[in-house]
Amino acid sequence: MTFHEMNPTIKFLTVTCLMFGLAFMYNPWTPLVVFFGTLVLQFIFSDVSWKRWGLFMIPFLLTALGTLWTTLVFGREASGQVVFSLFGNDVTEENVLWAATLSLRVLAFTVLSLLFTLTTDPKRFVYSLMQQARLSPNIAYSVFVGFRFFPILKIELMQLYETHALRGVRLDTRIDHVRHIPKLLIPLLAGAIRQAERIAFSMEARGFTGEHRSTYEVIPVTRNDFLLASLLFTLFGVSVWIGVR
Amino acid sequence: MLNSWKLKEIVLLSILSVVFAVVYLAFVHVGNLWAGLIGPIAYEWIFGIWFIVSIITAYIIRKPGAAFLSEVLAASIEMMIGNAIGPRIILVGIIQGLGAEAAFALTGYKRYDLWVLMLAGFGAAVTSFAYTYVMGGLSALSPTYVALMFALRATSGMLIAGIGGKILSDLLLRTGALEGYAVTRQRKAHG
Repeated sequence: MTFHEMNPTIKFLTVTCLMFGLAFMYNPWTPLVVFFGTLVLQFIFSDVSWKRWGLFMIPFLLTALGTLWTTLVFGREASGQVVFSLFGNDVTEENVLWAATLSLRVLAFTVLSLLFTLTTDPKRFVYSLMQQARLSPNIAYSVFVGFRFFPILKIELMQLYETHALRGVRLDTRIDHVRHIPKLLIPLLAGAIRQAERIAFSMEARGFTGEHRSTYEVIPVTRNDFLLASLLFTLFGVSVWIGVR
Repeated sequence: MLNSWKLKEIVLLSILSVVFAVVYLAFVHVGNLWAGLIGPIAYEWIFGIWFIVSIITAYIIRKPGAAFLSEVLAASIEMMIGNAIGPRIILVGIIQGLGAEAAFALTGYKRYDLWVLMLAGFGAAVTSFAYTYVMGGLSALSPTYVALMFALRATSGMLIAGIGGKILSDLLLRTGALEGYAVTRQRKAHG
């Protein structure tokens, strides 16, 4: 029983519900408990690279810090004792509590998101949406086309760089390349649109009608999915209980 | 909703979503760098970027659902290629897409003038701000600061997404790649 095997649609719904619930909790303890609880669950029921996890976490630590000080400096006028003064704004106990809540909320959102992102294979997610959530195959297969498009776009981008260099654009350093990107956007998009048309025609030529079809990959719904979901919901229940108490 | 769509329109929608998902993700990182320094307001003035695919797709395909679907797809693809905002971003996409879609629905999907595109940018700003207000707990901030955030986001939506989207689409139109889509047909019909 791992989060990797969990049905992606159920995982998606569970994680989204928890995040929504968190948004209505105005105490610092709930997000804190969710943060550590999710880490524990992730440790037990998954096999993710913690190095990757850490890298993904860094930008959100920054956001959490930004949220912390914004809420302190631009906080709403609140009752309670003034703890300290920041840039001429009196910070009360209530302000501190809010600031802690909001920045911990950012962190709790992030661990939940990472629990989903790091254990979910995009392809399985799309198949699962098609099989369990009745997503239109038209959209699902277009998303697959979109995915196949990344390498094509990369090749087209390289070709555009080469043609532009041939025509005398100076592209010596990496910075030159980055700076030149805005000029490539239109030709890149125009090329992509033409490709899209060709791909659509060849899909139709091979008999794609957009109706539901059988697939090799069947994503099941098992008892374990509900067990894992209820673990997450229990965690949230406990965190709310601790927070409100 | 998709019954009246041709497959090539759906694939186009998907590919525009892919391209802009990459752009969106790049700007999430730009925003994040700033946000550590100046707080959540860092995102506001560039927020219009995250509405642009709605406007471009609706302008090109001109069918109900184009603005909504493209935004949701872009958000989903953004999540799959590694945005740590995770599943929540799909929700964001749905909400932003609905805001933009509302503007086109109001005109009965008949008009695609600049003001409609700007209205769509504004609509996306309104719905997405409501979401930020709840999820980001903005009620803890002073009302003046919240008003400033909203004003920045609305302006950004109208300028970057509305006007920017129109400029980009018209540049694309000039390349001739959009032959066979509603935007070219309708333009020819009106002379």
